[in-house]
Amino acid sequence: MSLDIPRSTAAPAAKPRSFLHENPSVLWFMGLLGVFTVAVTVLSEGFGLGLISTNLVKILGMTLCLCLIAIAMDVVWGYCGILSLGHFAFFGLGGYAIGMWLMYARTEIVIRDSLGRGTIPPTELEVSEAVAAQIFGVVGSSELPLIWTFAGSLPFQLAMVVLVPGLLALVFGWLAFRSRVTGVYLSILTQAMTLALSLYLFQNDTGLRGNNGLSGLQNIPGFQHVPQSIISMWFFWASAFALGAGYLLFAWVVSGKFGSVIRAIRDNEARVRFLGYNVEGYKLFVFTITAVISGIAGALYYPQAGIINPAEIAPIASIYLAVWVAIGGRGRLYGAVIGAAFVSLLSSWLTGGGAPNVDLGLFRIVWTDWWLVLLGLGFVAVTLFFPKGIGGLFDYLVRKKP
Amino acid sequence: MSTLLEVSGVSVTFDGFRAINNLSIAIGEPELRAVIGPNGAGKTTFMDIVTGKTRPDEGRVLWGERSVDLLKYSESQIAKMGIGRKFQKPTVFEDQSVRDNLAMALKNRRGPFSVLMWKATAQDAARIIELAEEVGLSERLDDSAGILSHGQKQWLEIGMLLAQDPRLLLVDEPAAGMTPAEREHTTDLLKRAAQSRAVMVIEHDMEFIRRLDCRVTVLHEGAVLAEGSLDHVTRNQQVIDVYLGR
Repeated sequence: MSLDIPRSTAAPAAKPRSFLHENPSVLWFMGLLGVFTVAVTVLSEGFGLGLISTNLVKILGMTLCLCLIAIAMDVVWGYCGILSLGHFAFFGLGGYAIGMWLMYARTEIVIRDSLGRGTIPPTELEVSEAVAAQIFGVVGSSELPLIWTFAGSLPFQLAMVVLVPGLLALVFGWLAFRSRVTGVYLSILTQAMTLALSLYLFQNDTGLRGNNGLSGLQNIPGFQHVPQSIISMWFFWASAFALGAGYLLFAWVVSGKFGSVIRAIRDNEARVRFLGYNVEGYKLFVFTITAVISGIAGALYYPQAGIINPAEIAPIASIYLAVWVAIGGRGRLYGAVIGAAFVSLLSSWLTGGGAPNVDLGLFRIVWTDWWLVLLGLGFVAVTLFFPKGIGGLFDYLVRKKP
Repeated sequence: MSTLLEVSGVSVTFDGFRAINNLSIAIGEPELRAVIGPNGAGKTTFMDIVTGKTRPDEGRVLWGERSVDLLKYSESQIAKMGIGRKFQKPTVFEDQSVRDNLAMALKNRRGPFSVLMWKATAQDAARIIELAEEVGLSERLDDSAGILSHGQKQWLEIGMLLAQDPRLLLVDEPAAGMTPAEREHTTDLLKRAAQSRAVMVIEHDMEFIRRLDCRVTVLHEGAVLAEGSLDHVTRNQQVIDVYLGR
């Protein structure tokens, strides 16, 4: 009889290690996000020392939402190789879905208040007609469009935040991937999608108030008496939580064999087919899940912005998104976060009049005009000289360790 | 030995050029078969047709005991049925480790949801180590595939092919760019694989084919010119003309 060596001891190198142990950047990210959230809370007007204005809290909260859509973009582009130039359409749809409820429910409360002062209580029909007249007066209509039927229901509109972007991505992706549209043609197709959607929403008879968009979204129905300094913190926390959860989800998705397969699709999709993987199914999965997360990011963003209109989902927005991810560093989630935070904060500083103009004697650099030039040059420079982006700098830090 | 793959009367035209012209070829299971032919004979196009990459204008490609019509299926479905392919130029995923390359090829469920939930079992891990040993890459498991030498990439791809556990292996020029010692190892690998499977090797190198010691099919202008033992086909006047004459 020979001594049989058990298989498990024959393969010690393959002992499965924990997800966090394999991905130390996730712990780092969570820690930094936590510290940042606590710091902003302590410094805020609503809950702390008041060193950070409510307006700045909103900007920071919105930036966290932009970071969330940026990591979604990184998964779809940096990991799976699909250069989608239409993900802001999903972001906008999420914003519209929650905006409909915010606007409807708030108007309804106001209407009930004013109608309720009469001696006869108003009927439901009267309330609904008055709400419609109030919301759609601006586009010369007083009828509630069909898509607003359930706008008074928060659970329904929350479901729409996920379902509308998800279904659009599913149908669009199914048509595009099934026909094996790839590369620049796919990018153009996604641009066409977001352009078409934006033009469609610009029309008054779409039922979403045309170019006026939805406004007053910062006022949360039922919480009219809570000051914005408090509400802004609620949304800030929600955005930080969503970013953390999204980061964890995507880090898990791209870490295992699934990540291996989608990176392989990025590098050589024909080869992956011959390994027996249904490439189209994977692309559709990634496209749809990132669209859903983008929708959630939008639903958190627009109540902080206060207003959404069709210009938000113009093609240029999605191109900016690609620029953020490229500058931050593709194929690494923290790179996308860095790129989105850095570029969007810099943009609001320079275009918001925060940065001093530079007088060169003969010539004056006015940042509001020159910001786009700077961004363009930055993008070209990163693409040419630092293809790994800002996030690539971390490689040097990590490599120093034994 | 029963017939595993039967290609009959297949033709395909690219912009007026007949790459495959009424080609009929069959392979049994298990069997080792070498396919030779001058450049442009249609060897690679033949593989493209069998693996679903190219649709022929006419003809039939039948697979397995139940004679499934392969022309109705996509590349990934055909791969899942048990046809594995190694490309002429080694195509491994250079950004990823040897282990990840092998893990991806390992015979497991291929759907996005099953792959998302996939956890390496002890059995999978052991199989990966076994395969790496077989292709001589045990020491390189955690290296990225991009830094392997040309010959090692060829072997990794052969390893990935074996990991798929296919019934038919289509191997395009496996010995290209290999040292004599590496070639010998490759021959052994293919011969061993052919003990239980059908293996079809496309090769230019006559020495390599001699060592495979198997039935040879000669392709010319998209059709079979001759078939038989290597000695038999090399004595064939037409084959001599195609390879040496004109």
